[in-house]
Amino acid sequence: MATEGLAPPIAVTRTRPAWLESFAGQLLALLASFGIALLAGSLLIVAYGENPIDVYTSIFDASLGSADGIGYVLAIATPLIFAALAVSVCFKGGLFNIGVEGQYLVAMITATVAELNLDFLPGPLLVPAVLIAAMIGGMIWAAVPGILKVRTGAHEVVTTIMMNGIAISLVGWALNGPLHQNDAPEGAFVDLRTNVFPAKGLAGDLGAMFGVTPGAHLSWLLFLAIVAAIVVWFLIRRTRLGYEARAVGSSPGSARAGGVSIGATQLRLFLISGALAGLIGMQLILADRGYLPLNYVVGLGFTGILVAFLGQNNPIGIVFAAIVWAILSRGEVALQVSSQVPREFIIVLQGLLILTVVITYQIAKRRLAARQLQRAGLAGELEDSDAPDESAGPRGPEGSGSETFEPADEKRA
Amino acid sequence: MPFTDIAVAIQISFTYFTIIYLTGLGGLFSERSGIVNIGLEGLMIIGTVTGAFGARFFTDTVGLGTVWGPILGLLFGALCGAIFASVHAVATITFRVDHIVSGVVINLVAIGLARFLSYAFFNGQSTQSDPGGPHLARLDVPGLSSLPGGLDRAFERLSPMVVVAALMVIPVWYSLYRTRWGLRLRSCGENPEATRSLGVSVPRYRYQGVLLSGAFAGLSGAFLAAEVIGSWREGQTLGLGFIALAALIISNWNPIRLMFFAWLFGFAVAIPLRLQDAPVISLLPEQFIRMIPYVVTIVAIAGFVGRVRPPAAAGRAYEGGGGT
Repeated sequence: MATEGLAPPIAVTRTRPAWLESFAGQLLALLASFGIALLAGSLLIVAYGENPIDVYTSIFDASLGSADGIGYVLAIATPLIFAALAVSVCFKGGLFNIGVEGQYLVAMITATVAELNLDFLPGPLLVPAVLIAAMIGGMIWAAVPGILKVRTGAHEVVTTIMMNGIAISLVGWALNGPLHQNDAPEGAFVDLRTNVFPAKGLAGDLGAMFGVTPGAHLSWLLFLAIVAAIVVWFLIRRTRLGYEARAVGSSPGSARAGGVSIGATQLRLFLISGALAGLIGMQLILADRGYLPLNYVVGLGFTGILVAFLGQNNPIGIVFAAIVWAILSRGEVALQVSSQVPREFIIVLQGLLILTVVITYQIAKRRLAARQLQRAGLAGELEDSDAPDESAGPRGPEGSGSETFEPADEKRA
Repeated sequence: MPFTDIAVAIQISFTYFTIIYLTGLGGLFSERSGIVNIGLEGLMIIGTVTGAFGARFFTDTVGLGTVWGPILGLLFGALCGAIFASVHAVATITFRVDHIVSGVVINLVAIGLARFLSYAFFNGQSTQSDPGGPHLARLDVPGLSSLPGGLDRAFERLSPMVVVAALMVIPVWYSLYRTRWGLRLRSCGENPEATRSLGVSVPRYRYQGVLLSGAFAGLSGAFLAAEVIGSWREGQTLGLGFIALAALIISNWNPIRLMFFAWLFGFAVAIPLRLQDAPVISLLPEQFIRMIPYVVTIVAIAGFVGRVRPPAAAGRAYEGGGGT
């Protein structure tokens, strides 16, 4: 589509490097989809009798117009980075971890158990212990679909959706039963929650350092998220596991022929994904609240899937995608204060954005693949084929849930 | 006394059966045509908000009375579900976006869109509507509602939609297994390339499958909001769309088995509501009972008990023949 202008004539043998063309193509696709989404959003705004430019300006002002606004945006982005990284690690190996949602719920339980039972530890030991407990909780919940996938071929999309359903009930049970608070004064009305965590076990507020209001709950978990992004990048790009994961993700048949153990790779990816998912809830319980409430934020795992796509499964892209998502989320406040447009407009806008991004990437990817094939002298009937592209999304569930991997299936997928 | 409780639990299970079965049938049409639809929950959500509005609008505002008003309300929910499902259809069939990604988007957008619609429908209330909306007259099943020993309670005061849902198995089964349309729809889900070679437009059948799934899920959501609760409330679908998906999977994408599992899972949902004091059950926290449908489905999909097999081409982008 928009990449047309960059294309050298086919006859010319000297071409731009593939990565540059791919990068420029992706950037143009991204900008185009932003434009389309904002334009479609404008129509809705006009329907409410408001000026789109005013509304978009107020969203921008509320999010990036002040130090406080930026603080809020980064705090909102923190769990989204973990969530999208968790999703992307599995994507790389051609796996769809819909269960990030359930994994972070279970991780919040294990983290809470650690927080309340290890409170004799000094802060510098307690906090790492809590984070490790959270990661273990996420890993346990991710191990079930991982093992089932490897052992029985049960499709991970189905099993993770079911594990999510179980996790929701598990949190409800924990909060009503074993973890129910008993630290409130007799007769006082408190929301359903756990005991309040000791202050030494919380993620310290960083806002003061940058002149951000404590209300934003900006904490060093943000830096942990960025470190996690770098670690994931290193893992995927520079380690043997990352190489094997990419091989399994783009062509399981060749990977197996090359001596890669598909099952072992997939299981490891699931465990890493679960560990990352475990850290999603830490912003909520260690920074925002200081306890685990029943009205916890839901849907972060699902949002993570969308952020991962927005960031094209690239760890660095994910950090930026999470920030973009957070800017829009923060914009809700502006809408509430200064316009007739209901705040729900933001979720609709986010949905429009992700839809246009997904569709334009899909189109751009096809164009790019077609052009590369053309250049390689394979023009013609293959123009519709979908060349393996590791920066692209996962293959999707491969046909039958009863098989592990079939090379023949992948060629068509 | 316990009999009455069991009977009431069964009565409640019929209501949940209706919700799960209708939504499950939606998933059936979509997945049989080759499009995985994990957006059922989102389609239901759209059905709830538009159904609650439709029932009120056609009954009170248009003044069609308490028979045609609620019926048109339900159909309005189904229509809006189908319209919303067209997003999934365009994304997955025309643009070949990954089915799971599109489904997740559907679920996410539905929450925002429902609030957005609610804001417009219900005078600026974005998370609920006024309670006590119009619904169809309740029905006592003839014969069964005069059973002795309290068992009659199970068949009293049911929504007519329960009967409609139960009877739906006949046209669905017939259309899928005894018509040319059904054969073609199913073959699109099993082997789209071969189907195309016979001159059948695969995208067209897949569009029909996905739009039908939106209509059924929307109808189910409208039933939940307008008939069962009597108003719209955010989050009232309670993950039933995912339970419907579970029922669909464990029933091996078969409309008749789906009936049984929809009822079974509906009963599992009803137990904590009515049988919390019964022996054995009282020892279990209610949350553990809520896990039953999910655990059962995991066990089934893992092949510990029998083996389920999805349509072979479900989830796979169909590359042949660009146009529709």
